[in-house]
Amino acid sequence: MGSYGVVEEASGGGRHDHLCWAYEDRAALAGQVVGFLSEGLAAGQRVCYAAADATDPIARRLREIDGFTEAEERGAASVVPADSVYEPDTVIDPYEQVRIYAALTDAALAAGLAGLRVAADATALVRTPAQVDAFARCEHLIDRYMVDRPYAALCAYDRAALTDFTVAQLVCMHPLANTDVGLFRLHACPPADGAAALAGELDMTTEVLFPLALDRADLRPTAGRLVFDARELRFIDYHSVLDVADYARRRDATAVLRTSSRGASHLADLLGVDSVIVESAG
Amino acid sequence: MRSGVAAGHRGYFHEAVLYRSEQDLLDVAVPFLRGGVEAGEPTIVALGDGNAALVRDAMPEAVPALSFLGGDVYARPATAIKSYRRLLADHVAAGARQIRIIGEVPPTALGSTWDWWARYESAINYAYDDYPVWSMCAYDAMNTRGAVLDDVIRTHPRTATPDGHVANDRYTPPPRFLGERRPVEVDPIQLQPPALALTDPSPGAARRAIHDLDPGLAPDDLDGLLIAVSEVVTNGLRHGRPPVRVRYWAAPDRIVVTVHDGGSGPTDPFAGLLPAASGGGGLGLWLSHQLCNHVALDHSGDGFRVRLTAGNPHTPR
Repeated sequence: MGSYGVVEEASGGGRHDHLCWAYEDRAALAGQVVGFLSEGLAAGQRVCYAAADATDPIARRLREIDGFTEAEERGAASVVPADSVYEPDTVIDPYEQVRIYAALTDAALAAGLAGLRVAADATALVRTPAQVDAFARCEHLIDRYMVDRPYAALCAYDRAALTDFTVAQLVCMHPLANTDVGLFRLHACPPADGAAALAGELDMTTEVLFPLALDRADLRPTAGRLVFDARELRFIDYHSVLDVADYARRRDATAVLRTSSRGASHLADLLGVDSVIVESAG
Repeated sequence: MRSGVAAGHRGYFHEAVLYRSEQDLLDVAVPFLRGGVEAGEPTIVALGDGNAALVRDAMPEAVPALSFLGGDVYARPATAIKSYRRLLADHVAAGARQIRIIGEVPPTALGSTWDWWARYESAINYAYDDYPVWSMCAYDAMNTRGAVLDDVIRTHPRTATPDGHVANDRYTPPPRFLGERRPVEVDPIQLQPPALALTDPSPGAARRAIHDLDPGLAPDDLDGLLIAVSEVVTNGLRHGRPPVRVRYWAAPDRIVVTVHDGGSGPTDPFAGLLPAASGGGGLGLWLSHQLCNHVALDHSGDGFRVRLTAGNPHTPR
């Protein structure tokens, strides 16, 4: 599994994977959660499933995994109701959520485990625009935390219960997803590579989503430069170049797009925007 | 104070030179250039290699005072406008009271891509009018087809001859000239069925089709076409009238894409050649004019069609 893209299987990744799973039916999701958490168990991670509700059949499926019940008994696995992790109908505090998962990861390491791996059905937490906004912000903060910490997560969302636009707002904040809805991704990257990574395609179909994602990522410049690792950015239109320029300007920074795309370079030259420079990523 | 016949004129003094022989050209060009040098005005030669050499040989003593621009300035109309406006602004900022330029578009511009150069010749009456510039656009009257010469007369307010400067009574102001339906030559590959046709594609789908058809174009040409197709399809979907039909043709040396919608196209007559001040899709069309090797606009009775060519647009006549 790579660092960015569309995946067909939730398993097969690494210790830092951050996946978005927009599911059509829960039976299909069950197989993915089972695969994802089984892999964590095998890797010695503490695994946790936050179930949608008390009737969630995925909990039963998990307990059929060899060693899962034994792992539950020794504290290496758990199934919890989602509302014990997230207060339903409230708007989460993104920073507090990250502190909680960081503490849980530290606790798993302190217990001699190899880290933490969580699968959660967060559909109930993104019913209102305010909830979506907070959750999308949280997704990016978590993504940043996961870059170099042994924490992996699968965030499941029920497509039937959410609008396509809501799903797209969440998918675009994940490096990995089971769908290409939204077309682009804004995700964390190692600090040495930049403030964030941009991947996919940016055009009129992302014109609402992209500025939202940038605002939610709330990126901070370093020494006046806001560097985007855009090696996986396949296309950017001029509106999006201007969005990046505006975003950087509001942060008193120059945006740097590190990309191998000559198109981005042509556009920056032709538009003559001085708050965006394009550097060749080779 | 401006020197010469443009003295007292405000803005752009735009003349055509329809020469019938090398001597004919020199009889107009040499006094024009010499006058600029003597008046201490920035004096620029943007002729092709042959005519530039002719000028050098005819007035060797003045050559050090002349600026010779390479032929690249006329690579594309929108690029030429941008380059010249920057050059003119720099000279004015440096205190120039008049800038003199004699130039000629390359011979290839007089063929299948003339329609966008005709639009250029018209649009610059407006685009350079912010500056005290006196320019002469040279055309070989013996070897240029009549339709081109007709457009030249209609886009230049005056003609310079060895005998003097005459007003062109057929001069047509830019909004009217640019608002007319321009004849666009059919690229011969358009006589074949398109390799691909899409209706109301997303910009992404319209771009992906180009990757599928790429015959191995130069990377800059391909990247430019990807941006242009994306922008023009976006304009069609956003500002046009459905359906938006996109057709693709590919030959070993080029890709031709047409984007048609049922609307009337941009209302700005300068669309494509100058960046739009606001909205309406003008910026995307302006970028396309700088990234493709030819862009033709066709306001036909059944809607608005943009034809984009990447690679070699100079098809035999």
